[in-house]
Order: sequence, then C-alpha cells, then structure tokens
Amino acid sequence: MDQLNAWFTQLLAGNAIFTANTLGFYWNGLVTTVQLVFLCLLLGILLAIPLAIGRGSKRWWIKWPIYAYTYVFRGTPLLIQLYLVYYGVVFFNGIQDTIFWEVFKDAFYPALIAFTLNTAAYTTEIFRGAIKNTAKGEIEAARAYGMSKGLMMRRIILPSAFRRALPAYGNEVIFMLHASAVASVVTIMDLTGAAYYVYARFYAPFPAFIFVALIYLCLTFSIMFVFRRLEKRLLAHLRPRGA
Amino acid sequence: MATTPIPLEARDIKKRFGSHEVLKGLSLEAHKGDVITLIGASGSGKSTFLRCMNLLEQPDEGELIVHNEPIHFRATKHGREPADWKQVERLRAKLSMVFQNFNLWSHMTLLENVIEAPVHVLKKPRKQAIDEARALLDRVGLLERADYYPTQMSGGQQQRGAIARALAMDPEVMLFDEPTSALDPELVGDVLKVMRGLADEGRTMILVTHEIAFARDVSSQVIYLHQGVIEESGTPAEVLDNPRSERLRQFLAPKH
Repeated sequence: MDQLNAWFTQLLAGNAIFTANTLGFYWNGLVTTVQLVFLCLLLGILLAIPLAIGRGSKRWWIKWPIYAYTYVFRGTPLLIQLYLVYYGVVFFNGIQDTIFWEVFKDAFYPALIAFTLNTAAYTTEIFRGAIKNTAKGEIEAARAYGMSKGLMMRRIILPSAFRRALPAYGNEVIFMLHASAVASVVTIMDLTGAAYYVYARFYAPFPAFIFVALIYLCLTFSIMFVFRRLEKRLLAHLRPRGA
Repeated sequence: MATTPIPLEARDIKKRFGSHEVLKGLSLEAHKGDVITLIGASGSGKSTFLRCMNLLEQPDEGELIVHNEPIHFRATKHGREPADWKQVERLRAKLSMVFQNFNLWSHMTLLENVIEAPVHVLKKPRKQAIDEARALLDRVGLLERADYYPTQMSGGQQQRGAIARALAMDPEVMLFDEPTSALDPELVGDVLKVMRGLADEGRTMILVTHEIAFARDVSSQVIYLHQGVIEESGTPAEVLDNPRSERLRQFLAPKH
C-alpha cells in the first residue's frame, strides 16, 4: 500500500489538478454512479418482468395502465422526471414527519426512484416485444404437452424472450449509465458531479471532463464486454454449430 | 371397469370459424394399437379435426373422451370452453403431438427438448428423464446430436427429435399433424421409418398425412374427409384400393 502510494505521488508530481484528493473525488463519484445505475437496473428489471407480462394481457384494465405508464416515461425527459420526484415529494404535506423523509431527504433515493421508473418503462417495452415475438409453434407445443400457463411462461416464453431481448437490453444498460449523469444536477456527487467539482475548483474544464469521459468509456466497454459474453453463451442456439 | 379403456374417442365434433363450418360432426374411436390415418384435400378439415383432439382448437360441439375420461365443457358468451383447464393439461400430457413444423423449443438443446415435459409436466426425476431421453434419441438415430440446438439440425433430424420428445411422454395416443409435409423429399424416408417402427410396436397413432403409400402400409383405419364430413372410412384395402366415391377416386389418382 505504501509502495502504491509512493508510486502515485511520483506519478502526480508536478500536476496541480489530479492530486490524491481529486482522484478520491472521482473514485467516490464512480462508486456512486455504479451503485445508482446497478440498483436502478436491478429494480427496473424486477418491475419490468411482471409489467411486460401484464402488458400482453387480454384484460384492458391491466394492459392500458401499463401502456400509459411506459408511454409517459418514455415520452418525457429523464431530467424532468428526476426534478418531479426530487422537488415534488416535499409537496406531499407532512412527509417530513414520516419515516419516508429519512429516505427522501437524501438526493440519492429520489434519483434512484426516477431512474428505476424510467428504465423499467423502456425495459418493459423491450421485454414486451420479445415476448410477443415468441414463435407461435413453440407455444403451441408447450400447450400440447400439457404445460400450464405459468409453467409455459417460466420455462418456454421468458427464457426464449430474454435471449431475444439481450442485445436491445444491453443498449438500455449503456443508455442508463450515460443518462445517470443527470443525477449530478440534484446535488448527487456521481462521476459527473465529481468532474464538475474539479472543473469549478481549478477552472480546468478540459482535464476535468476529458478524464471523466474516459472513465465513462471504460465503464461502457466493460458493459459491452459482459453483454458480448452473455450473448455468446445465451444466443448459441442462433449460430451454426462450432461458430 | 372391466373393459380396457379406449385411449381416445371423439363424438360428433363440430367446429366453426366465423360463419364457416369446417367440421360438421366428426367421430372417431382410437383403440389401443390403432393407427388411424386422416386423408383429404387441403381445407377438408383433417388438421383442424386432429387439433380438436387435444384442444389446440376448441370444438364448438361434440364430446372428447380420453382414456375413458370425458373432457368437461362449460358454456360461455361465445360458445363454450373447457370447464377445467387443469383437466385439459393432464389429458394433453397423454396425447403427444408431432407438428408439421416440428416446433422444437429453439432455446433448448435436443436433449433438453426431450426431457422438458417429462421433468416439468410429469415430474419425473431429472436423472431418469435424461437416461430415457438418451435411449429415445438413440432409437431415432440422433444420440450424437443430443447437444445440438434445433436450428443446427436438418428438418428431418428436427422431426425425428420431435418424435423422441413425443415418445418421452409415453403417451396413450400420438397425434401426427402432417409430419413430413415440411421436409425435403430426401429426408421424408427417415422420418417415415421411425413412424413405421412405432406402428409396428403397437403405438396408438392418429395421423394426418399426404403420404398415401405410407398410409396404406401402416394404417388400421383410413378416414377420408371432404369439406368437414367423413366421406369414407374403413381399412386401407376398402378406402384406398376400392374407393366408392368419384371424389376419393380423383383424390387418389396419380397427379402429374
């Protein structure tokens, strides 16, 4: 550890901006961004699966509210949604006296809620399309072999739909990572927030933002790498054997 | 009950699509070991009739009795539907279907396709299902393809795989819906060979096909449908070699 420290000190010698102190800011920003994006994606997927199934329901009172939800959240800017959740909650009278205030007074949670609702809306539509494109013959075979609706959903429709949705969902994950930059406008010290702080402190826009752009690039490539691997594994059934 | 149960009985099945009546009261009785072949021009209702037997299509009228157990229906606004889907699911598991387009589950390997319903519908132990599946794949000549996905196999291989999937349910009756119609001519032979083996070992089969020569060979009963009505029915010798109606004679005449 001491050796590492010494190495860093030497590397950063003669450099006024990227001190251990500012790198610490970037590091904390990275942790916040990854936490925020990971959590909103996780919650988003958990919401999107039942919503995507419900979106294909024959019952209008299940189908239409879900459609209205995805329509609104895909049709408005994420930044506006974030403002509405962040500034909007205080207008619920008395919320300051409830335990919810403990959650909402920290900007992280309103941002998490807004991001989750946003990504869940897109993910619902991605899954919905994939579910709808399940081969009719495969569904018929599942029925003919005595599967119940639930079993068929679990064993045939969803596994096949997830695979088909994978490339589009990979794009959604990258989109969400980039969109998470707006969290910085509601005082969250994410990666962009850290970059803004360094810029403001040293009035050095290029070093501050180019450095953060490189970090986002690394994250994007890591996500792409993971999805490439997943696709290679899970979409094996679409490729000729041995390819 | 003293008598052996009849695997499948259909009584007076009627089916309409809109105002068009495609099945006008068809009956059929499949006893153990019967091989019943449905023939007829396209649009005669033979596939629809077959699909009514496992309720992939809902018959508007008529009775279905699987292994002496009648399927219950209840009236709805638009006609009727099965009263108890659990019963339908249970009885469907006794009637394996082989489709024209194979309909193997594309995200599963061949072996996974074969064990899927035995494990999850019949609740067989996985280990036992795998052993049985491998024996069945060996029988249809596909053991070395066990880890292939459906798109990595030829049509003939997929259809033989689909037959292995059907056999894995150890069904009361096997329903074949034009199993060779989607295959290249040179692949038809292998599939028919497997089906002939099943007929020889006494499997109860109901088969929709255009392969008249094969029907003559394996069938215990041939039914000729025309516009949703059974026009002729009997042994292959009666129906195929001595057709009574002009229409069937024309249907059987060699095409050029």
